[in-house]
Amino acid sequence: MKHKRKRVMKIIDEITNFLFFIGSKKISIDYEENDEGFLITLEGNYKKEKIKEIYNLVKYLSYEKEEEMEEYYWELSGNYDMDTELTLVGMMTDDAKVYYDDEKVTIFLVRYK
Amino acid sequence: MERKKKPFKLNMTYYVLIAFSLIQIIFGLTQDTPKEIILGLQSILSNPDTLVSDYIGVGGIGASFVNSGLLTLMFLFMLYKMKHRAHGVTIAGILTISGFALFGKNLLNVWFVVFGVYLYSRYQKDNFSKYLVVALFGTALAPVATEIIFSSLLPYHLSIPLGILSGILMGFILPALATSMLNFHQGFNLYNIGFTSGLVGTVYVSILRSYGFVPEPRFIWTTGNNFKFSIFLTILFLGLIVFGVYTRDRKLSEFKNIFKYSGRLITDYVKLEGLPFTLINMGLAGLLSLAYILIIGGDLNGPTIGGIYTIVGFAAFGKTPKTILPIFLGVSIGALTKTWGINEPAIQLAALFGTALAPIAGEFGSIYGILAAFVHSSVVLNVGFLHGGMNLYNNGFAAGIVAGFLLPIFEAFRKDED
Repeated sequence: MKHKRKRVMKIIDEITNFLFFIGSKKISIDYEENDEGFLITLEGNYKKEKIKEIYNLVKYLSYEKEEEMEEYYWELSGNYDMDTELTLVGMMTDDAKVYYDDEKVTIFLVRYK
Repeated sequence: MERKKKPFKLNMTYYVLIAFSLIQIIFGLTQDTPKEIILGLQSILSNPDTLVSDYIGVGGIGASFVNSGLLTLMFLFMLYKMKHRAHGVTIAGILTISGFALFGKNLLNVWFVVFGVYLYSRYQKDNFSKYLVVALFGTALAPVATEIIFSSLLPYHLSIPLGILSGILMGFILPALATSMLNFHQGFNLYNIGFTSGLVGTVYVSILRSYGFVPEPRFIWTTGNNFKFSIFLTILFLGLIVFGVYTRDRKLSEFKNIFKYSGRLITDYVKLEGLPFTLINMGLAGLLSLAYILIIGGDLNGPTIGGIYTIVGFAAFGKTPKTILPIFLGVSIGALTKTWGINEPAIQLAALFGTALAPIAGEFGSIYGILAAFVHSSVVLNVGFLHGGMNLYNNGFAAGIVAGFLLPIFEAFRKDED
């Protein structure tokens, strides 16, 4: 597979784009690479009226990994700031967890090598 | 959410597509005698396939629909063997093949490109299944092989290996290019492989022309079958709607959810809203497209039915009646003010395949969709020469140029949220 790290960068871009979209003013990103894969955690605050977007995020990130979709469309991830490609993030990751409270949302993503 | 991969099995999407293929074959068998169909298939397989080659004119209605149904079944079998999980993109890819198998893709010419994609996957030491989506859409370049194989300029001992090698080469370079080209139009051209194939075809034909090889222009376009095809297509699309309504597991009022998406790549309605609502959307999009062709006094034949099938396929992957209508309007308004008639063959195709730009209407609004289509109908008439008709998705090529050109302008004038 080509562009292993660039693809991870695209995933981070896409989630960062989403956090901007829901009104995050403070974002933290944690990234770790080990022998098995990539662990990515993003956290940000959000505007309360955007809570529905978080419900959608949970739905989109629940999609199974699909390598044939990733292989063709991965360049679209994180590119466009007026819309999101969250389903693509779901298809590019092996595991995803979303936690949220009244103020902030935390997204854990795992992508195996 | 812990995601565990479910075991592979044939899902309902596969069954719908298999049924669609069988309907194509059965319809074909009712139109001509077996002998006529075999002779027709022979004629389809032994002629060049550059734009515009209406197979109904080349081999007859029976052979065209049998070719379409059989080719679709073959690709479904390949997907099944590769354990591909069928969803919206599968429907789009498969119906694009079904549609173009009425005017350019046949049981022979598609496999060279597919084999080229396979070789690319081996070169990358990857599983071929990762490149299936590119292989499905990449058959746009199928005529590259047959244009050379059946060229009158070369003897067969040269034209056959050269044609085969050219087809394989196209498939080999397509995956890397197709992904990269998405950046140009940001997913607002649903026929990205068309845009990519247009560029590949342009470079390829430029090289051929510099050696004195000029692709021979073709224009085979049948007329006079509107009544027969209207009945067939209306039943087919109503069938999709009825099946969708019957198998749905949610209230019909929730169907309107499908209109809230822009349709930009990747918008997979099967994943987002489920197969039943997707089938209803496909049926409605098909009926609208059919109505458009009939209202403007167009012709139902291989190319236009191919265009309608492609719309129906992409109604599982980015198009809705709401976003394709502005495209029809834009091309129609263009025809009223420009130097051509609304029902000229190229303009009929510009309207049908111009719906590649439907996400512009979905994202920015109908007026922008109309404007994009207005521009598209002019651009598409000027780019076919570049690739000599070897890229079957000529409108996809033009739509890529139009989307990449208009997108920054539309964004510049859009009001930001903050």
